Amino acid sequence: MPRNASLALAVGIMLAAGYAVFAAKGWQWKAALFPLAIGIPLFCLAAVEVLWTLIDKKTAEEPAPRSVALPWAWMIAFLAVIVLLGFPVAVAVFVLAYLKLQAKESWLFSIVFTAAIWAAFYGLFDLLLHLPFPAGWIIEWLGLA
Amino acid sequence: MKRRQLLIAAIGLAAAPVAMAQSFSGKTVTIIVGYKPGGGYDATARLLARHLPKHIPGKPTVIVQNMPGANSVIAANHVYNVAKPDGLTIATFNRNLPIAQLTGVEGVKYDITKFAWIGSAANESTILAIRTDLPYKTFEELRKAKEPVVIGSTGPGANTHDFPLLLKDLVGLNFKIVSGYSSSADIMLAVERKEVDGRAGSFTSLRPFIDRGVVRPIVRARSTEPGIDKLPVDESFAPNPRAKAIMALRSAPELVARPYVMPPKTPADIVKMMRDAFARTIDDPELVAEGKKSKMDLEFTPGDQAQRILTDVMNQPKDLVAEFAKYIKFGE
Amino acid sequence: MLEALWEGLLLVLQWKAFGFMLLGIGLGFWVGLLPGLGGATTLALMLPFIYTMQPVEAFAFLLGMHAVVATTGDITSVLFGVPGEATSAATVVDGYAMTKNGEAGRALGAALASSLVGAVVGAVALAAAIPVVRPLVLTFGSPELFMLAIVGLAFIASLSAQGTRGMLRGFLAGGLGLLLATVGQDPQAGVARFTFDTLYLWQGLDLVPVLVGIFAIPEIIDLFVRGNSISGNAPPGNVANGAWQGVKDTYRHFWLTIRCSLIGTFIGVMPGLGGSVAQWMAYGHAVQSAKTPEERERFGRGDVRGVLGPGAANNSKEGGSLIPTVAFGVPGSTAMAILLGGFLLLGLVPGPDMLTKHLAVTYSMVWTIVLANVITVAVCFLFLDRMASVTEVKGHRLIPAILVLVFIGSYTSNSHYGDLLVTLVFGGVGYLMVRAGWPRSPFVLGLVLGKIAENYLYISVARYEAAWLTRPVVLVLIAVAVAVILYPFLQARRSRSRA
Repeated sequence: MPRNASLALAVGIMLAAGYAVFAAKGWQWKAALFPLAIGIPLFCLAAVEVLWTLIDKKTAEEPAPRSVALPWAWMIAFLAVIVLLGFPVAVAVFVLAYLKLQAKESWLFSIVFTAAIWAAFYGLFDLLLHLPFPAGWIIEWLGLA
Repeated sequence: MKRRQLLIAAIGLAAAPVAMAQSFSGKTVTIIVGYKPGGGYDATARLLARHLPKHIPGKPTVIVQNMPGANSVIAANHVYNVAKPDGLTIATFNRNLPIAQLTGVEGVKYDITKFAWIGSAANESTILAIRTDLPYKTFEELRKAKEPVVIGSTGPGANTHDFPLLLKDLVGLNFKIVSGYSSSADIMLAVERKEVDGRAGSFTSLRPFIDRGVVRPIVRARSTEPGIDKLPVDESFAPNPRAKAIMALRSAPELVARPYVMPPKTPADIVKMMRDAFARTIDDPELVAEGKKSKMDLEFTPGDQAQRILTDVMNQPKDLVAEFAKYIKFGE
Repeated sequence: MLEALWEGLLLVLQWKAFGFMLLGIGLGFWVGLLPGLGGATTLALMLPFIYTMQPVEAFAFLLGMHAVVATTGDITSVLFGVPGEATSAATVVDGYAMTKNGEAGRALGAALASSLVGAVVGAVALAAAIPVVRPLVLTFGSPELFMLAIVGLAFIASLSAQGTRGMLRGFLAGGLGLLLATVGQDPQAGVARFTFDTLYLWQGLDLVPVLVGIFAIPEIIDLFVRGNSISGNAPPGNVANGAWQGVKDTYRHFWLTIRCSLIGTFIGVMPGLGGSVAQWMAYGHAVQSAKTPEERERFGRGDVRGVLGPGAANNSKEGGSLIPTVAFGVPGSTAMAILLGGFLLLGLVPGPDMLTKHLAVTYSMVWTIVLANVITVAVCFLFLDRMASVTEVKGHRLIPAILVLVFIGSYTSNSHYGDLLVTLVFGGVGYLMVRAGWPRSPFVLGLVLGKIAENYLYISVARYEAAWLTRPVVLVLIAVAVAVILYPFLQARRSRSRA
């Protein structure tokens, strides 16, 4: 996994640096100087790292830990719910769902904890700071906004 | 028959303000600011938000929300396309947004003339100021300068950059414009360090330094304020009508320096009510006293006037706009 | 000057001013602790309340609030691995690692004690520098600021792991940070660079969503996968115990703490370098203090010096950044800009007057910083046990709360969903870096310093052409940068010859 991760990063940087150099060539020199001055060496260094990683047999291949798909799924789901239902609703839904489904806590604990977190969130960020929280897409589609 | 009709009409007329008052009481009016907290637009909005409720029928709560990003294009897009035209959303944004629309900046999803204009809460005047220990006291002397005069700027799109740029490219002043400073305060530090010889900017922001004798104002743009009205105007030095038109186009937004709008298609009676509310608020002695403390001088330009100025801007001939776009880019 | 110093103290100790300071501290405590309650935003919200106060009271309130943010921001960094403030991000690296080792109490003790030392040093610097402050700040022009950015970037070498491979990866991380710093509209030609036609990227990548993503998200994933508590993998013991150990650490490494405080103050004094740089340079310097390569490897895994350095620097920089604000009216950060607005509101004009006529008011600010931090640190120590024991709570109970903090912390910068996406994307990048063993601090350095370096380079060349390279301070800084880069190599050679 460290080897694959290293490879992924190095290839990613190669692509980013390559794209940067490609895009910067069309700009005026003042705008292009820094991206080129950084992008070209970065591309070369990343290429070196890619080759080194491929050739290097020494890096111990750690067994991948328990799957990380699940935590990522939760986080992406949180983002999705925020966009679909709006931030305040999403906070309540996510915390409750996580506590019940993942943490497998009791209903009492889940509801009380969710209420506490939601109240703190709402009080601070909506009532006090007046942060703009757009209504979620689903809420708007349903005409409830 | 007639008397009854008159009676009904009279009741209707009397009830109208009550009806409107009822429509705002208990509600929350949101002013969306296209910048993060701490800047001039934000401070003005917060000052207004504190005193507006008294002057809006129904005394609603007025809050400020910040929606920064893309030099307030995001906020303008939002209020133009997403916000509901029910009088509960007001936007204030970069005065140069008309220029963004005019020069065809990508991502602009509004038509500045179609907003429901409340008006402008203040005027801004841009001046150019040069360090006092330099031998240039008047514009003519500056014009004759043999050594390049170094002007610091923050970047294209800001008045720190565009105002001297036009003086250099159109009037031919011997300027070297050095841009990249992170804020106009940083440029002032560079002036004190003698790294640059002067800067352009709003009179309000330069005034403390003028009063302290660090810099001396030399020339101003069209919009004026007490204290700088004796200064020559940049347009008067334009070598030809086209150059003059370009300078005028650059300074047009300064006449609508703190724009306040509502979403398009907001009902006319709400717009009128808001204009009246703003006018009364800006004259409110409490607001004036508070404003004096933070050196904010508010002056109301009604929405119809603002709309006329900006429609003028939008209707400029295409070739002029093309030439203009060669010098002025939308930025800050 | 001494009378003004005494007068300043008396001004703060008046009942009303002191009361307001306590109120400010109370607010600032939570502002620093909670990501998303940004110091600058809350300051802006508080401005209206000071209209009716006297200058000293108002400053006691504002500064009391602001001075404390850097201290409590470290708490969230240490306990949860989530930066409470952008300026507390460097404390996450070793602070949270210590917490995972079961040393939460020690890490907190070290963070708090070093914050206090840093705050005092910054305040003393503010007080002592007042006579020389104007010539000092005026000597550092754009060429010098560019070189300072280069010195900062030179620390990338120290922050990389040992060996050529380590250096390569460090430079890759740093280079990526530098490249990403160019996203946005450039201030020379106005070209929209790498914005992919989105309005969101016009003003570049915002630091907070990236920081929160790259540091907090990998830790959340790790906590999830482990399934136990934050300190669960550590040998059993009382996690709260080490608080005094942490304080003792501060004295054991006293000179390092002082040096890092001075770095913080100095960077704070230079307007235009921004608020996030000081902590990373201090962290880099703390890493340099490791005497052997084995010691160096421990950084990032829970070396207390990695907490002391940034902990001190992010506090001392506050005292430092008051200097240009008060003496020149040039704020060094958004928070300072708002404080400046507060000054004007209260009728005080920044400039030479603040260093002469109103010297006592300036000194009252110094005292406010010191007293506010003393009080806060004392209060925190009282609750330290409670705070540290959070790290023994079951991870799955904390994760939803931490994630809410992470997401809201990322959202409040711009109120734009794009920031949330950025956080997740950089969470992915951070996760890969942790798995691959790549250092993340060079990346942050590159991201933070990229724009500054570019702008000041252009200004220097435009203004002075090539002559700026021969300015005396520039030459000194070039030497410093070279020294910083070579240091790890020299150190490795020295330890090899000793072995």
